[in-house]
Amino acid sequence: MTMGAEMSMTPVVRDEYSAPFFDGAERGELMLRYSPSSGCWSAPEARVCATSRAADLEWRVASGEGELVSWTVIPGRPRDGRPTTDTVVGIVETAEGPWLTLRIVNADEAAPAVGAPVRVEFVRPEGGESVPVARLAARS
Amino acid sequence: MSSTPTAIAGLGMTELGRVYGRTPAQFALEAVTGAAADAGLSLDDIDGLLVNPGVGNDTDLRLQSTLQLRGLRLLSTVQGFGSSAIQMVQYASMAISAGMAEVVACVYADAPLKEGKGSGAAYAGGDRALKGVESLPAAAGLKSAPARYAIAARRHMEAYGTTSEQLGAVAVAARQWATMNPLAQMREPITLADHQNSRLIADPLRLLDCCLVSNGAIAVIVTSADRAADLAQPPVHVWGWGQSHPGYPNHRDSDFGLVSGAAQSGPAALRMAGVTVDDIDIREIYDCFTYTTLITLEDYGFCAKGEGGEFVASGALAPGGSHPTNTGGGELSSYYMWGMTPLSEAVIQARGQAGQRQVAKNDLVMVSGNGGVLDFHATLVVSPHARNA
Repeated sequence: MTMGAEMSMTPVVRDEYSAPFFDGAERGELMLRYSPSSGCWSAPEARVCATSRAADLEWRVASGEGELVSWTVIPGRPRDGRPTTDTVVGIVETAEGPWLTLRIVNADEAAPAVGAPVRVEFVRPEGGESVPVARLAARS
Repeated sequence: MSSTPTAIAGLGMTELGRVYGRTPAQFALEAVTGAAADAGLSLDDIDGLLVNPGVGNDTDLRLQSTLQLRGLRLLSTVQGFGSSAIQMVQYASMAISAGMAEVVACVYADAPLKEGKGSGAAYAGGDRALKGVESLPAAAGLKSAPARYAIAARRHMEAYGTTSEQLGAVAVAARQWATMNPLAQMREPITLADHQNSRLIADPLRLLDCCLVSNGAIAVIVTSADRAADLAQPPVHVWGWGQSHPGYPNHRDSDFGLVSGAAQSGPAALRMAGVTVDDIDIREIYDCFTYTTLITLEDYGFCAKGEGGEFVASGALAPGGSHPTNTGGGELSSYYMWGMTPLSEAVIQARGQAGQRQVAKNDLVMVSGNGGVLDFHATLVVSPHARNA
């Protein structure tokens, strides 16, 4: 379930640069930056190609597949006497190469591990755009 | 190009820690005035001022008028975050070498702690709306420095088998030194069990893996080695320096968490000093987290890459150990003045003024500054001896 993530994530609003990213997120598509001249992918925030420094970056749909590079678990602090859930955030290396820092939404079901397969999904916190989150593949 | 050997001739430190009711500029005024007096100089002797405004960015070039300085020939802010203090000494040395200034005051001042609020609130972001793709990590929950360093530390642990207990050894050693430092905020001894039992802040980092938060200011006076020789304090000669800002790609094959800017900055400083890592007697390492100490020592070459965990757990860093490190207690236990924490202790040790914690062999001291999340790094090698004496 991703409901918890929606509830606890801080909303993000778009700016002019990021509009295609969030339009893609609304469609359930992960948009990354791609340089036709170098054939290389870059992270969403890249203004020039991370590999060649070429300025011909364009938004392209990525696979949404990736694997976990590293992560942290931030313990939930009791609020109003009730425990809150832990926040698990990880660096996900997309199949295309760029890294995304994402909320991991099912660490209670599948233990985070280096190289663990991840699928990017989207949630929409109230008051903001749809944003990507990571779902770990369930234990086999 | 001329090359004038330089030295740190003065050190000024305000009261540090939970000190309220003063602005960063007021702290800075006291630290610079104190540093000048320590050197046996007056404010009128200062002809260069470099200001590191801390995380609050509250102190700036207006410090010139706060200090009533006249006719400065060098005035600038330096914002390399935790690497700033070392950078300021480097830039001051270059300015003196170029004939641009003779006596340069370098100051860090900040007052992030607010009365009645915890340390955690000091560096918390505001309630500004998150905007654009750059804010996705924060939206995901990666907001605090401990959380961001936790991801870096985890990567090192997974790659090299570094353990939480090994990180704990860094905290225990720092506290052992702090017990002998009257200026340290935390002087109660701790054990490895205390570290392991301290609450998780951002797994794998526990409370005792994290630095303090402090209000206050520290300043140093940099001048030519010749002029420093005639001043009030034993000169702390600047032998070598280096900077490295890795610019980690947010992409496959990034070294983030595995290798820091120390890997380039350290060897560069040693080369300039004409010494090797084996010649270094004392290490004052920027320790915003225990992991930062570990990776910096690794990248400087005090042990092999990936063996930092075993190295720090061997007792090498602690009093009586083979590699005395963070001899005042560091940012973990003494006070958190960004890069001025390791720099101030380096000055004290090089002068032989560290009292009970003085390391007997203090001929060469290596000092590090680290900013961002391993993004910015600067190194200094200093000595009580003149470079070519």
